Amino acid sequence: MTTTVTASASGAAPAALPLGRRVLDAGPVLALVLLVVAFSLASGRFLTVPNAGSIANQAAILLVLATGATFVILLGGVDLSVEGVMATSSLVTVLLAANDRNGSHLGYLAVLVGTAVGALIGLVNGLLHTRMRIPSFMVTLGTGAIGIGIATVLFGGQPPRLLDPGLRAWGTERIAGMPRLVIIAVAVLLIGYLIQKFTRIGRYILVIGGDEQIARLAGVSVARYKLYAFVLAGTASGLAGAMASTQLGVGDVQVGSGQLFATITAVVVGGTALTGGRGGVPQTVVGVLLISVLANGLILVGVNPSIQRSVQGVVIIAAIAATAWTQRHRLRVIK
Amino acid sequence: MMSTPTSRSRFRRRWARRSRVGLACVGLLGLLAAGCSSASQDSAAQNKPANPKDLVLVQAIRSLSNPYHAEWAKGGEMFAASVGMPVQTLTDEGDSQQQLNQIKQVLAGGKTVVLNADPNTTSDTQAIVRAVQDAGGFVVTQWNKPDGLTPAQVGNSWVAHIGFDGNTGGYQTAKALFAAMNNSGGIIALQGILDDVPAKERFAGLQKAISETPGVQLLDQQTANWTRNEAFQVTQTLLAKHAGQVKGVWAANDDMALGAIEALRAVGLVGKVPIVGASDAVPEALQDIQAGNVGYVATVSTDAYWQGGAGLALAYQAATGKYNVAAAPATDRSFYGKEFLVTKQNVADFTKTPTAADLAPDFANPLARNVGPLQ
Repeated sequence: MTTTVTASASGAAPAALPLGRRVLDAGPVLALVLLVVAFSLASGRFLTVPNAGSIANQAAILLVLATGATFVILLGGVDLSVEGVMATSSLVTVLLAANDRNGSHLGYLAVLVGTAVGALIGLVNGLLHTRMRIPSFMVTLGTGAIGIGIATVLFGGQPPRLLDPGLRAWGTERIAGMPRLVIIAVAVLLIGYLIQKFTRIGRYILVIGGDEQIARLAGVSVARYKLYAFVLAGTASGLAGAMASTQLGVGDVQVGSGQLFATITAVVVGGTALTGGRGGVPQTVVGVLLISVLANGLILVGVNPSIQRSVQGVVIIAAIAATAWTQRHRLRVIK
Repeated sequence: MMSTPTSRSRFRRRWARRSRVGLACVGLLGLLAAGCSSASQDSAAQNKPANPKDLVLVQAIRSLSNPYHAEWAKGGEMFAASVGMPVQTLTDEGDSQQQLNQIKQVLAGGKTVVLNADPNTTSDTQAIVRAVQDAGGFVVTQWNKPDGLTPAQVGNSWVAHIGFDGNTGGYQTAKALFAAMNNSGGIIALQGILDDVPAKERFAGLQKAISETPGVQLLDQQTANWTRNEAFQVTQTLLAKHAGQVKGVWAANDDMALGAIEALRAVGLVGKVPIVGASDAVPEALQDIQAGNVGYVATVSTDAYWQGGAGLALAYQAATGKYNVAAAPATDRSFYGKEFLVTKQNVADFTKTPTAADLAPDFANPLARNVGPLQ
């Protein structure tokens, strides 16, 4: 049975896409190009090597988060625990690596544990969602709050400093001109792409997101693959929390502040439908770049800080509206 | 750390995320409780001088798990020891309703309550002072107070409110930063949440200092919402935007300054560009100022030991009749406490615990650090 389903899932080969669908897919890329051109014209500093490095560095953590979140959104679900998972993972990682609070010095193993904690929270998300049938947004809202709570207890009123020079180097140094975190992010992106494209997990997640009922009738273990998606997202958030700590040099409850909004926006602006079943990791890359370029460009161009956030919102809505315009009568469900 | 309303707002945001549903219920209860306490004013007791043995000393703070409030509590304990009494410390862990309930329980204990409180949010202050007024206790509040509300409106139980002027901290840290830059070059400024009062005051202080220093230009100002990670990102972008021109970084609090330091580190500028934080005096910042290796020039301390000790001392003097609240001028009822610029020269004073002898003059005259009426 698996072969049949796999065949139908990958049956929508790119060559067979109708024109409207292709415009839809190209929309975010066009929007990105437009933004880059506009910012380059408005500011001579935009297209410079230091600024490109700064955009890449800022996109790195968001890319990791968004790659993970893509799988959950492809299912038609959502993971709101991003900031809570990052906070817990950040504190766990720093408190297990060499730090100024205790005698621990696990080195890279600390990052592994921090990431594993993320995976564990993802597993809890998945189990609660699939076994207890609680909507994903409610489950993840709750676990995210728990994550912040755990982190606050570990935080103990003062951020522990990360003293492991090897780990600090990952957050601050470059290899061949490229920030090390960017290299990690690209690796995560590749893994995410491979999972989506070539594994049963990736293909079934698309099928389930497309139509859960059909997937069920076809004999797909819906609950199991949903679980995998939440574990992937949790793992990514966990890793992102550890990455942010190597960058800031502390374990901080606020380490993920603002990242939830950015993550979901990046995935959706990129072209992954909130209704599930359409989109994927490559689209998310475009979304992440859009968000990062926008945040960077608005500062470079000199938009008043008081209205920057609003301008970001307007541009994002415009981008989504423009790309979805040709498809608006065909969108199945607006939730 | 977490010493100012700034970090308080940060805490509020964190809290809001932590319990969205719970908060709604707690908020509702809070409203009810506030309504009840103000409705029972007819039962207000008279504020007559009390015998010290009928008093109970209380301090209400957020928690003991952050260094700032831990120091506050120690200051209160040192005052209590100086008058040979115990002090009860109430911690609410950021829960406004819990704070009010704890205070009401103590008030219901039958003794005259002498309270030094750090109200959790601005809207909690009114409920707390009215509860104390109704029970005939004595309270000094610090930091959070609604703009239109003055101690005189509520009564003589509300002995005083102590705030801190962000203009001073913003100005003094800016001056220290400029001195480290030889008064010339461009700077970038990281603001707090743009509509927070301390954020506005501190930035106004910076602007005043800039207007007095012709050699210094403000290249850019952005908000980083009081947080370290946003400060990191914004600073990174600003360093790319003004490559080679940034000779100094001013941040409205220590957390953002610490985030900016990491952004400087990522481009190899750490230690070469001086940096200041306009409030909080968090331990990390003090360590960096002392070590002098990352360019951290200055921060501002409100002296938590003093806040804990002198605040309680003022309420105690009012309770024992040594200080006559009814005769006190309005300028002593609602005033700014003194802030201290912390630099390498005096940082050692702020990393060590003061002795009872150090604090004795402030316990004797708790109004000594009144630097002017609250605006």
